[in-house]
Amino acid sequence: MACIPLYILLCSGEHEKLQMAAMIASVGAVSERPVEVFVSMGALAAFAAGVAPAERYRGGAFSVLMREKRAPDALTLLRQGRELGELKMWACSMALDLHGWEMERLVEGLFDGPLGLTKFLSDAETGQLVTF
Amino acid sequence: MAERHKVDARGAFCPGPLMELIATLRHAEIGDEVEIWSTDTGSAKDIPEWVKKVRHELVAVNETDGYWSIVVRKAK
Repeated sequence: MACIPLYILLCSGEHEKLQMAAMIASVGAVSERPVEVFVSMGALAAFAAGVAPAERYRGGAFSVLMREKRAPDALTLLRQGRELGELKMWACSMALDLHGWEMERLVEGLFDGPLGLTKFLSDAETGQLVTF
Repeated sequence: MAERHKVDARGAFCPGPLMELIATLRHAEIGDEVEIWSTDTGSAKDIPEWVKKVRHELVAVNETDGYWSIVVRKAK
């Protein structure tokens, strides 16, 4: 039986939300479920190229705990989801414009391209939408 | 002849052990088995669920000396 596609709207750059979104996206993708992630608002900054993990992952006590205990790196999980499953990632064109960024400012090899919210929402009508 | 690949994922947190299992299965031949060791309690249920969903074969799930040993046969 075909799986219902999963669409993840990631707006928060808070580490624990980013981590949960990455876990769901990667596990969903490797479980033969098509997944698409739309990264917008404050979350986009967490995907900037050339940033150290301590700068990339910001949050409260649980963020500190995840880094101390060496929980799987969120970006690595997303890369694994792309490599081992059907996972697409889109950078919100509005958030890129607000930052004044081109796609080259984001980590290499993780995104399929820029996308507008209208197209993402239209695509998401075919599946289940989860927001972080 | 089928081989058994061993993956020591003890100390890795969810979903690390599952990802390591999948990465190893990807390079294995059909009929090969992957035995993964995990201290992540969730693996004991998560990995069998994943195996069932993607139609591989679960060979064994055992708890040994504080960690889980889970054996999966590549079926496709």
